[in-house]
This record gives sequence, structure tokens and C-alpha cells, in this order.
Amino acid sequence: MIQLNVNGVEHSLDIEPEMPLLWALREEISLRGTKFGCGLGLCGACTVHIDGTPVRSCSYPASAAVGKQISTIESIGSEETPHAIQRAWIKHQVPQCGYCQSGMQMAAVALLNDNPNPTDEDIDAVMTNLCRCGTYDRIRAAIKTAAKEMV
Amino acid sequence: MGITRRIFMIGGATVGGGLLLGIGGVGAHLMTHNRINTQRDGHTDNNSTLVNLWLRITPDNNIIVINPHTDMGQGTATGLMQIVADEIDADWSQMKSQAAPADVAYSNGKVFEGFMREMVTPPEWAGNLVENGFYRMGDLMKMQMTGGSSAVRFTGWDAMRKAAAATRQMLLAAAAEKLDVDIASLKTQSGTVVHENSGQSYTYGELAADAANRDLPKDAAFKAADQWRFVGNSIDREDVPAKVLATAEYGIDAEVPDMQYAAIATSGVFGAQISSIDNADEIKTARGVSDVLIVPDGVAVVADNPWRAEQAVRKVVFQRESHANDTLHTEDVVQNQRDALAGELSEGLSTGEAVEGAADIKAEYLVPYLAHATMEPMNATVWMQDGKLNVIAGVQNPLGARQRAAKEAGMKIDDVIFHSRQMGGGFGRRVAFSTTGDEPLSWLVQAVRIALHSNKAVKTTWSRETDTRSDVYRPLVLGQYEGALADDGKPLLWRSRSYGKEMNIKAIAPPYAIPNIKVSYADQPHPIPTGFWRSVEHSQHGFFVESFIDELAMAANADPLQYRLSLLAKDSAAASVLNKVAEMSGWRYGADADGRAMGVALVHSFGSTVAQVVEASMTSNGVSAHRVWCAVDCGTAVNPQAVEAQVQGAVHYALSAALYGKCDLKDGGIVQSNFHDYRLVGLAESPAVEVAIVKSDSPIGGVGEIGVPPLAPALSNALAVTDGVRRRSLPLV
Repeated sequence: MIQLNVNGVEHSLDIEPEMPLLWALREEISLRGTKFGCGLGLCGACTVHIDGTPVRSCSYPASAAVGKQISTIESIGSEETPHAIQRAWIKHQVPQCGYCQSGMQMAAVALLNDNPNPTDEDIDAVMTNLCRCGTYDRIRAAIKTAAKEMV
Repeated sequence: MGITRRIFMIGGATVGGGLLLGIGGVGAHLMTHNRINTQRDGHTDNNSTLVNLWLRITPDNNIIVINPHTDMGQGTATGLMQIVADEIDADWSQMKSQAAPADVAYSNGKVFEGFMREMVTPPEWAGNLVENGFYRMGDLMKMQMTGGSSAVRFTGWDAMRKAAAATRQMLLAAAAEKLDVDIASLKTQSGTVVHENSGQSYTYGELAADAANRDLPKDAAFKAADQWRFVGNSIDREDVPAKVLATAEYGIDAEVPDMQYAAIATSGVFGAQISSIDNADEIKTARGVSDVLIVPDGVAVVADNPWRAEQAVRKVVFQRESHANDTLHTEDVVQNQRDALAGELSEGLSTGEAVEGAADIKAEYLVPYLAHATMEPMNATVWMQDGKLNVIAGVQNPLGARQRAAKEAGMKIDDVIFHSRQMGGGFGRRVAFSTTGDEPLSWLVQAVRIALHSNKAVKTTWSRETDTRSDVYRPLVLGQYEGALADDGKPLLWRSRSYGKEMNIKAIAPPYAIPNIKVSYADQPHPIPTGFWRSVEHSQHGFFVESFIDELAMAANADPLQYRLSLLAKDSAAASVLNKVAEMSGWRYGADADGRAMGVALVHSFGSTVAQVVEASMTSNGVSAHRVWCAVDCGTAVNPQAVEAQVQGAVHYALSAALYGKCDLKDGGIVQSNFHDYRLVGLAESPAVEVAIVKSDSPIGGVGEIGVPPLAPALSNALAVTDGVRRRSLPLV
């Protein structure tokens, strides 16, 4: 059995140690906000936080997350209490198809936790998730808005 | 002659013979379609009253727009609500949208009537380019499609606006009868009809039942633009919050009790089928695996977790039938196209006198096959329940997908329940319609086969690799161009030959004033499946035409932007957007001290005109696009911020293709597999994109695709300024 702490809740899962965390989250715990995009850690649609650090869960074995705090998009904010990043994402009308945006927001939240006032260069260096709809102009603007709000 | 605002009805089975019936208004449209009874039957719940085809008014005074289009982030629902709110005279808080079911009663014939109108009365701009629209109308009328940048301009502007205006008239008439007053003494505001003299009023919800029984007016007047409260305003899209909160449900998020998961490995050669599986027994011993089977174009493994299914399917050893494509390589396709262009060609557009042998400027362009690479790979969840086949999927044509699933299952369409979901990207991939005979729904066909074979609920999901290698591709196209200049440097002659035709377009003529134009094409097919890719034929022909006019400008030693302007009518939309983009970008012809130069391109597509300037340079890392400016004439911009978003996004979509996009053929299959070798532009290399919407009297145009075509030629044209090298094939890196 693999013990995972996801969004503060303990789960005991009968899965292979090498099963990527993504599939444990999506299909064993039914947390489907985290998306599958490529399976090789290239696109970032599956980004979650492990002990606060963004990781690409499609290529991160579930066993490596044992004993750590896993946070998914479901824990970041809610309709009643959205995260500053989520408020900024709505204000700037960032998503188009929206499929990459949970991973994108998880990367942005981690960026701001680490660096509350990122420059354009900081954003370029960290925001390596891919968006096929090309929402990059607004992602950049929304991160700056959220940074101001969080100060 | 301007655009004719007639509405054409397409007459049933005789469409192939070209019967067109001109009709005068929304009432006749509704009656002729004979859909209203179906609609009423379908909407008697909640004690609300269906007033007409696209609108529903509830007793508590909500106005529900029944949206036949599906969402992939383009903002259709919000745009349609804006149009209706203005024309019916409602407050925004009353407006709701609801997805139309995948039912023939909601097939969006208006979309195709719109395309048909473009075909019959093309804009002046297009001159005698008549065949710029759909042509297989008989097939299309049974579809419920989201594509062709059509939702707001055809469904919204042509149909829903008329419906809303007519509804308002019916509500006024119902109130006049109730109050026994003259209709002229009534006015509408905020979803109520008010009799100012007496102070009496009724909400639309109170009047809806009476209004629905009235005859539809044929002459309901539209509001003037200065009366609009919603159209033209940047209203937040209604689909955004759920996407931000990650509560939006995509096809891949389906959950059905006792669901199993299927993964697919492709045969590896287009058209080649699997003849046998060598190690099925061994595969079935893997944990969670319940089934291994041959499906069209590949093999499938069914398991209790998608990762287990994927791991297992990669271990399947199979035998493949031999196929003519077994030895197919990209080089063969290119050579075949070059040979075809040297042979007998079909006539496209010709004007003026054919000037043979006088062309001294020649160029051959080549664009590659491209995958769509939607972020959400193709997937469908299928199961039988109470004798009905259930399908969960996100598609651009739910009715078409429902029909295809029924055909595959050997069932009647009435026995298929289609649960439409949010799409994680479409870009034409999920159109579920083909003009080539290629199968755009092979993933759905596989999913139906697997579920029926396994007798379980099964979610079939393509891996990124299978998705990249099983697409319906943007065609690889070779184009050969020849030109000659007159003594004043202006083009005297323009000849082009290109391979294939998409949507009966037969190649694109330049929008410029050139005395002798001859466009021809090789009407031949592709050896691999092709389909619609955002902006369809314009992605390749835009690159050809706008590269070649730039070559002519350079040959004439002219500023390429001024050269284009000198070949356009001063009051044209094309000249207007070129002037605007020159102003926005601070247009400069020539490289600056940092080696940065600007390039320009102009493409008219989907009823809109876009000019782009790209500032680019060659760096040690290769090509860098620093900034992009876009000037857009889409007639009326219903939701300007949504227009901006679509054009910005289209630029990045097109930039990925211009810099990196190619699908190479080797031994009959696609070489590229995932984002490491089918690269997409990331945030760090994405240029800032500035969009300006020009004020215009142009008819309303499409938006979702129009930002794509000018990007590649504008970028390539900029690079030619930096180093004098003309880049005639894509991708650039």
C-alpha cells in the first residue's frame, strides 16, 4: 500500500510504487483538476506541489511522494475564497480552452510563494508550462496583478 | 454592390442540385424548418416557454440562449448572450446560456447559410473569387458544427439577433393585448414591457406564454449601434471561472461507475491494419488488464487504470498488413507534388491576359504536414445502459459525432445518447467532419468498438504519442510562384501553381491590383489523412501569397508595406488595417542597430481582414520574434477583449508552427511524437502581442482563426530584411 497525503487528507492506495502520481490523483482519488497532457513532464498540465515545490506529476512516481504534502489545484482556492492567482486569472480573462490552466496556476502560485515580486525574467525562467491556446500575454499580466495584491 | 443581406434557405434533398430558396425573415425560417414543435416538446420542463428557436424565457424572467456551439475557449456563449441581450432589451443578470443537445432540431443551418451567402455574393474585396465557402451543403445541413469562425457572425448576428428582435416584438404585442393599449405606447427596458402613461408593466417572463402563441413578425427592426449596451463591450466570459477553479469538466474527466480504461497503439503506417497480436495471453497477465483487441488502425488494451493500460499496450507485439504507404517518406510526397505541378492542372482564378514566358521572378514554397496538438488528447467514454449507447466526449460537432457513434455500433441515432463536454482545445481537430473521406473520428470509432467488445464502460484515451501520430493533418503543400514587374515596379503578372484543394478553395489569389493573374492547382489527394487546421487553407496560402508579394516588393526596391498599399483601394479594409498596423508598430523598413527588422503580412479570411507586423531578428539561438502588432477589421467586434484574446492566441499558435511545426513521414508513419520533437512556443519566447480593432462598416467577420495566417509570412518577411535571405519553407528553425 502507498500512503499519500493529498490536500491534507491521508489516502491508502493499493497501487504500484512506480505509478505516476498523476494517475493516482486522477483515477484512484478522483481529483481530476490535474490534467494529463504529455506523460513526459514536457507540458506541465499535470503540475502539483509537493512540499510546496511544483512538480510534473505525470512523470513523478507516487512512491516518491510518500511522507510529503501533496497539494493539487483543488486545494488552492474555491469559488467562495479564490486564491489571488485565481482572482487575477479571472480579472485578466486568462483561460481559453482552460485545459492547461490548473497546471499553469500551480506553477504561478509556486513562483509567487518563492518570489513575491517577480520580474519578467523571473517569470520567463519559471513559467515553462505550455499553453496551446497561447494565453501567455495574459498569464504574464495576471501574475503581476496577483503579485501586487499579495504584497 | 455591397454585401447582400438576404438569407438563403437550403431546400432539403435537392441541395446537391443547387436549389436555393430566398426567404425574408426569421418567421419564415422557423416555419420552414419545422423545428418549433420539436423544440417546444423538448422545453416544457420548468414551466418555461420556448419563444422561438434559440431563446427561452422562464417565468422568473431569465432569458436562456440555447447555444448550438461547443466551447473550446473561444467565448461563443458570452458573445451570443450579448447580441441577444441588446436586441431583446434585457439586463445582463437575466442572461443565461445552455448548451443545445446533440439533436437534429439544433443543427445550425444558419452557419452554412452564412457560408453559402459568402459563396453566392462574395464581398467586393474578393472580386470574382466565388468559391470561398462550403460546397457540400447537403451533408452540412445535418451538422451541429463549431468551426469556420462562424458562431458569432452567423449563428449570432444572422440568426439569434433576428430571433431576439422578433421575440421583443412578440412580447410587446402580447403586452398590448393584455393592457388593451396601442403597441406604440409601450416600450421595453430591462426585461420588462412598460406602459409609461399608466405606469403598468409586465416582465418578459409574465408575457412569455402569450407571446409564444403569436405569429412571428417578419419585419422586426434591429437596434441601431448607438443603442447597444452589451455588443461592443468587453464583458467577462461566462466559461472562465469554472476553468480557473478547475471545476470545468472535459471529456477526459468523465467518471462512470465501474469504468475501465483503454489505451491505443497505432499500427505505425497510415492505412495499414493489424492482422494479429502475438502476445495477447502474456499482456493479459499484467495487473489490471482485462482485454486486448485489434481496433481500426491499431491495437487496444483495456485495464482498470489508464497508466496500466498504457504500459501494457506499449508491450503488445503485433503483425501488420503490408500497405502501399509502407515506404512512404516526406521526400516522396514533395516529389509527387512537384511532378503533379508539372502536369495537367485545374484552373483557379484567372484575370487579364495570360502572359506566358515573361515571368522573371520565381519562387517555390513548401509547408509541412502539421498536427493539431490539442492539450487534451483525443478521448471518449462509451457504455451501454438500458439499451442505449452513451458517449461522453468533447467535439466541435456533437451531432456528427453522435451519428458516427450510432453507425459504428449499428444502432439508430435515437438510441445513442451523446453527453457533450468542454474541449481541451479544438483548432479544427474535433470538427468531426471531413471533405476528403478521411476519418476525423477514428478515436471515437475505436472507443465504441472497445466498449462494445468489452461490454463495459470504457474511457479510451490517446497518449500524446498516439495523438501526434494519428491526426488528420494540415496538408503539406508545395506552391510555385512566378511574377514580373512593370516599368514602374508594380506587379504586371502573377502566376501560381499549388497542390491540392481544401474546402473547394482551389488556391488563393492575391488581394492586390495586378493586371494578369493566373492561379492553378493540382486537384489530387494526400496519401495520409488530412483535415481542418485552424484557419484551414489560409495557413499555407497566406504564407505563399504574402511571401511572394514581399519578394516582388523587394525586387522593386520598394518598402513592402507601402508597396502593398499602392496595390489596394484607398478606402478598402485591407488598406485600413495596413495603415493601422504601420501606425501601431512605428513601421520601419530596414534593420536597426540591434539587427532587428520588421516584416508585414495581410490576409483576408473568414470574413475579416488582418494585418500583422512582426519584429524579429536572427540570434545565436536561432530565430527570435520580439513583438507582434495586429490590426483587425472584423466589422462589429461583439466582445473586444475576447477578440483580442483570440487574435493573441492565434499568433502564438501560428508562431509554434512557423518556428518549429512539422510532421515528417518516414516508412509510412509520423516521426514526431511528443512536445520535445513537436515543439510549442513557451512563455519565455512568446512575443508581446498588441491587437487593435479598427472601426469599420465592414460586415461582421469571424475571429477565432483570423490571427493565424499572417504570422508566418510576416515573420519570414522580417528575417529577409535582417539578412537578405528569403526563407521559402517552414518551419524556420
